[in-house]
Amino acid sequence: MLFSWDYLLQGFATACTLQNLMWATIGCLVGTLIGVLPGIGPSSGIAILLPLTTVLPPTSAIIMMAAIYYGAMYGGSTTAIVVNIPGEASSVPTALDGYAMARQGRAGPALAISAISSFVAGTLSLVGLTFFAPVLANFALAFGPPEYFALMFMGLSLVISLSGRALLKGIISMALGLTASLIGQNPLTGASRLTFGSIEMMAGINFISVIIGLFAISEILINVEHSVKLMYDTKVRDWMPKWADVRQCIGAMLRSTGIGFFLGLLPGCAPAVTTFVAYDVERRVSKHPERFGKGAIEGVAAPEGANNATTSGGFVPLFAFGLPTGPALAVLLGGLMMYGLQPGPMLFKQNPQFVWAVIASMYIGNVILLVLNLPLVGMWARIALIPFPILGPLIILFSVIGAFSIRFMLFDVWVALIFGGIGYLMRKLGFPIAPMVLATVLAQMLETSLQQSLLISQGSPLIFFTRPIAAVFMVLALASIFRGVWVQVRNRGPEVPLEDEE
Amino acid sequence: MKGRIDTGGFGWVILGSLICFLAWRVRLGTFSEPGPGFIAFGAGSFLCVVGIIMLLSGLVSPASTEERVPWDRLFPRGVRLRLAYTVLLLFLYTMFLDKLGYVIGTFLLMWGLFLNWERPRWVTSMVASLVTVGVTYLVFEVWLHCQLPRGILPLG
Repeated sequence: MLFSWDYLLQGFATACTLQNLMWATIGCLVGTLIGVLPGIGPSSGIAILLPLTTVLPPTSAIIMMAAIYYGAMYGGSTTAIVVNIPGEASSVPTALDGYAMARQGRAGPALAISAISSFVAGTLSLVGLTFFAPVLANFALAFGPPEYFALMFMGLSLVISLSGRALLKGIISMALGLTASLIGQNPLTGASRLTFGSIEMMAGINFISVIIGLFAISEILINVEHSVKLMYDTKVRDWMPKWADVRQCIGAMLRSTGIGFFLGLLPGCAPAVTTFVAYDVERRVSKHPERFGKGAIEGVAAPEGANNATTSGGFVPLFAFGLPTGPALAVLLGGLMMYGLQPGPMLFKQNPQFVWAVIASMYIGNVILLVLNLPLVGMWARIALIPFPILGPLIILFSVIGAFSIRFMLFDVWVALIFGGIGYLMRKLGFPIAPMVLATVLAQMLETSLQQSLLISQGSPLIFFTRPIAAVFMVLALASIFRGVWVQVRNRGPEVPLEDEE
Repeated sequence: MKGRIDTGGFGWVILGSLICFLAWRVRLGTFSEPGPGFIAFGAGSFLCVVGIIMLLSGLVSPASTEERVPWDRLFPRGVRLRLAYTVLLLFLYTMFLDKLGYVIGTFLLMWGLFLNWERPRWVTSMVASLVTVGVTYLVFEVWLHCQLPRGILPLG
């Protein structure tokens, strides 16, 4: 894959035709709407709309599909911030601080900073995609099962910081999440476990249902208990962030761009992982980590930036090797093949106009998203002003539809309901929810990579320390665990989970 | 308070042991060939270890038992009925969604929730429920082809 200014400028010329601009705008709008609707993620959104694009020329169709993808990634943050429903696992860290900001009457600035951070990270990572794709794609190929396991293990070590001072409760939450997500079939052998003979349970527990239950349904139950009139009765203070807010987030945006983009190059490393990592890094580098979980604006900027950077990063292995790094990109790959385009090094040689037009359209799409969404911040934030007796039933309904539409199974609705109850009890008893979500998201990949690694090493766990990249991740994870435990032991104090700290 | 046994810790040890047992039943495998119960066994062991730590910390330190909030303050009497009504409504909805179908089932759920939470005139809540069902049906079934349950009506 060779970079050429001529191709890039030609790409911009193609992307800027009236027709392509229109499809990019439609894609951004539809994508944002898909992101806002819980349960309808980018993968299902693209899959549903793919057949409808057959009437369009290939370039316009893929421009629109890509716009739906990053539009949906942006839209997912809206409900996470305003009503505490992360439609996607990647929006969970955004909800931690975004919803806290909304409760303080700052839903507007939270939504705006999310749009700005998405734009900055999306654009910067596109620069990476444009100039460094071949080198970066090779870096991604250096990752084997041991590196993936080490990365996932490092991800799990975030439980320490996500648990606040309730470390034991955080570990319990993680262990329960891990167990729940192991229900079903083993991804490698197909053997079923913890299913109690139920056919539905053999399909496994989908983490979106778990998230919907833990966040949306439990939130409603808490509100029912308090007979609230509004989801939060704080007066809306301002609609837009102040310059000081933006300045405070610049570091977070840049760091999350790097994290999101580089981890986004790895197949299987979904935005759900990168957003958690970016959130944790931000908490660690912050001079006031105690503000996180209580409405720190960097806690919104970091995961949102990482989310969009991962989206752009994922296009590097997709275009360079035909490797989709996530389900949504796999559907997009299907779209490319539907048009007779085979991604890989030859794609850049045989169809340079097409590839560079899509890349150029992504720059334009990011601008369109910002221009479309900043003025709409007030509209989205006003959702929270709908009286709870009206909003509450609607949230329940959207949660049910969201859970059902994942696999069109009633079982998923039951899962959401059960985890709603579990989430409610956890909140009441002071158990942090985030570690459970993290474990649910990481479990399958953790298990697969562990099994593969041990098979490769013939049972020797030393494989995680003899390969350089894996060793770095393992050392970082272990250091983080020991530090967390040490801090916990030294500061003996009342256990307060991160989400509930007041 | 010193020397009191943390019953919560005891519960986690039992749950952890149960998970370990279930994982062992489906085969743990070996390090060179991990079985389907390998990670589940690890998760169960984690729970056991945490439970034991909680048990021990309850015995040696008063901190964990002193902060317990009484059950009545956690779940005050006044809210139990309201909460139970919502949970029961959701339970019944999920149970009969397949049989009644999306349109009828959701209409009844929404009506029940609107009536309970807002207490307006029953006509208002009925109209609101009808509009909600109509709009969501159009968006999710007609536009997004979500294959919502059909039930007894030829819709859904």
